[in-house]
Amino acid sequence: MSGVLRWILTRLLVMGVTLLGASLVIFFALRLLPGGYESVVLGPLASEEQRQAAAERWGLDQPLWVQYWEWARGALTGDFGISLISQVPVLDELQLRMPVTGTLALMALAAAVLVGVPLGILTGLRSTRRSGGAAGRLVAGLGISIPEFVLGPAVLYVVSVRMSGFGVGSLSRLTEDPVGLVRALVLPAGVLAFSCVAVTARTTRDVVMGVLVEPHITAAVARGERPWHIVRHHVLRNSAVPILTLLGTITAYLLGGAVIVETVFNIPGIGSYMITGLGRQDYAVVQASVLLAATLFVVINAALEIAATFVDPRVSSKGRR
Amino acid sequence: MMTSTKLFVRRLLKDPLMLGAVAVLGVLCLLALVAAVVPFAGNPTEIKGMRLSPPSAEYPLGTDSIGRSLLPRLLEGIGVTLVISAVAVLITAVVSTAVGVVAGYAGGWTREIILRVVDVFYAFPAIVLAILVAAVAGPGRPAAIAAIVLVTAPLMVRMIAVQAANVAYRDFVTSARISGVRLPVILVRHVLSGVAGTLAVQVTYALAVGILVEGGLSFLGYGAQLPESSLGLLVQEGVVYMTAAPWMLFAPVAALVASILSITIVGDTLRDRLEPREVRSLT
Amino acid sequence: MSEQSEPIVAVDGLVAEYDARGGVAVALAGVDLRISRGERLGIVGESGSGKTTLALALGGLLPGNCRLSSGVVSSCGTTVRAGDGRTARADELRTLRREKIAFIAQDPAASLDPTTRIGRQFAVAMKAQGRPMTPDEIDEALSAVRIERPGEVRRLYPHQVSGGMAQRIAIAMAVARRPQLLIADEPTAALDVEVRSEVLSLIVRLAAEHDITLIWVSHDIPAVRRWCTRAVVMNDGRVVEQGPVDRVLVEPEHPYARELVNALRAGAGAGEQR
Repeated sequence: MSGVLRWILTRLLVMGVTLLGASLVIFFALRLLPGGYESVVLGPLASEEQRQAAAERWGLDQPLWVQYWEWARGALTGDFGISLISQVPVLDELQLRMPVTGTLALMALAAAVLVGVPLGILTGLRSTRRSGGAAGRLVAGLGISIPEFVLGPAVLYVVSVRMSGFGVGSLSRLTEDPVGLVRALVLPAGVLAFSCVAVTARTTRDVVMGVLVEPHITAAVARGERPWHIVRHHVLRNSAVPILTLLGTITAYLLGGAVIVETVFNIPGIGSYMITGLGRQDYAVVQASVLLAATLFVVINAALEIAATFVDPRVSSKGRR
Repeated sequence: MMTSTKLFVRRLLKDPLMLGAVAVLGVLCLLALVAAVVPFAGNPTEIKGMRLSPPSAEYPLGTDSIGRSLLPRLLEGIGVTLVISAVAVLITAVVSTAVGVVAGYAGGWTREIILRVVDVFYAFPAIVLAILVAAVAGPGRPAAIAAIVLVTAPLMVRMIAVQAANVAYRDFVTSARISGVRLPVILVRHVLSGVAGTLAVQVTYALAVGILVEGGLSFLGYGAQLPESSLGLLVQEGVVYMTAAPWMLFAPVAALVASILSITIVGDTLRDRLEPREVRSLT
Repeated sequence: MSEQSEPIVAVDGLVAEYDARGGVAVALAGVDLRISRGERLGIVGESGSGKTTLALALGGLLPGNCRLSSGVVSSCGTTVRAGDGRTARADELRTLRREKIAFIAQDPAASLDPTTRIGRQFAVAMKAQGRPMTPDEIDEALSAVRIERPGEVRRLYPHQVSGGMAQRIAIAMAVARRPQLLIADEPTAALDVEVRSEVLSLIVRLAAEHDITLIWVSHDIPAVRRWCTRAVVMNDGRVVEQGPVDRVLVEPEHPYARELVNALRAGAGAGEQR
């Protein structure tokens, strides 16, 4: 058990290092912006005195490392600063928008798990070639070849022709009414789920086919066990770890896709907050929302990796696959 | 060597789906190339006719919101998108191969540090990382290329590092090392040839990702800039005028989806042949 | 009693072909073989001689790209392929494998499910056979293959035991099913030299104890001579020589068999000196 514990601690350490790296990238990338940070904050027409006053107020006269430290320390305690445009604390806005993006992503994830995984398992069990027949390859290929920024507008077009139009409604109304929120997000989540389902099914299929050729499955076949019995007792458990890893990758898809889908459908979530913030050069907003996305990804992946060691004990042992 | 490559290609093209995908890509590339040299379909930036006029004999794909003919714009867009993606993936391939081979072959701390840095970039959703790059570099072609490189490189470095590590411990590499072959020679002759298959498959998939990223960037306004066109930019314009002039959306969407789909099919087929795998059933 | 005199395995003119890239490869080119109950038969030959294909064909376990294109195979009373080309249905084959035949694979560690504790997969496999076993019975079965603390071993995962122990566990699982026929395809190939003869003697002893007919695919001629009653020499998909071990493996008549025996004897000698 101490081996497993040590392994978990190592994973957590790696997670911390990755997050540190990500925060450095975010912070220094935005300091590299053309024109310098102050002129972005104040606009190009600011006078020298205004510039100095602002520099003092935002701490821009401090060395970069000090500035980074201040920002990172704030971020750790949930203080992401104040939106340069709206003057509202970024944290307040994030808290308001988080449930919207969270619901959107969870709905799409549910579709990926409930549709993509079974589809991948079924096609994996029945296929006779690695990439499948011509029809299967075409359908699976189409699934990942239609990006959100194409499918979203197409859906929007059909809806606006058939119905009176599409509106998600205001943020305050959405957060007060969870059922209404889910209902309003069905179409956007469907768009977001489309390629996730395709990627999940494709990868799951590949994983299952890889497990089927493992010698212990052949051994079970040689014992005369029924196919469903082999699937239930051996195939599923052995496929679980790579599928967990896949779901970690899918979170990145979802977070990135949410940016596009929220923009297309005009949904007040984290993604659209990030894009509007970037458009208005509201860097406190951009820093916070990008850091949030990266943190979610890293934390979810670490959690999945730790979950994996309980499904397959080899993950944390020396004989890592 | 030459004949075995020829044989390999011939066998690949026996697959009708692969043949179709290669044909579609070939036609798209050829059209874009010819249009760039001889503007047979017209000048992409010239304002010629009525705004938003539907497809006609004069304007085969209709006109856009300021009266430019859509066909030459589409051909230019295909070219720009393919070139951006191809240049970016070429850079990714060179950088990732170098870094991945070093990480995989050297192992130890070198590998650990490289993979941790890669993890950091892997932590950002692709489109978010791309937008950050575009914002820092200022929207435009170089930014799109840089964004695609940063998005596609992490995965490729990882895959190549794994493959290179596999090759590094094979007997022929060990015996080459023992018999005193110089390191660069080992890396180029043995390790590089060992990762070539993985590289080919990953490069193909990365091309598709490149087109997706360019499209997403342009869609959000951080990609190619007017008066230039790219598939992503044309899709974005098409979305704006979708109800009034649906043809503005159809043609670029068709070109975009066709190229991503064809590249994906080529990638899948290559993977099947280069990384073959046994298939079993449960009965 | 009349069933006892029937051969447990009857193979006549069996031809097996693999679909290879750009053509067909013949793995078995007309094999005739009879095995009686209680025999311990060694099948020897170089790799590619068809010995593994023959062993798999007895359980209808050939991979999808391999066809039995002519001839007859029947084992333990089930006709896997009849002379008129009819093959056993999937459920008939499953019954045959479940109730009558047990296979022991080359790589013992890989033939155990890596994600399941040893005791649990033992129990699950036995339950699927329709003969559930209590933990105590499993301990007993493990003790029979000389595993010392079966209660502890049951709680381990396959990657936590040595190759030799993994193979003994696989043997215990195979024998616990009380098959009529035990087919072991180079069961010691993946093991260290020191534990090989221990594993072999275990297989032979258990087969004798439980009245199990043994087919052992190998290229270790001295070991086959020591542990088997009869031997079959295969070359290029054909049986070139068969009979009692002392005749076939000491003074074979067929020139290929003679060559093989000499070559392997020389090889084995060199191996012992090392």
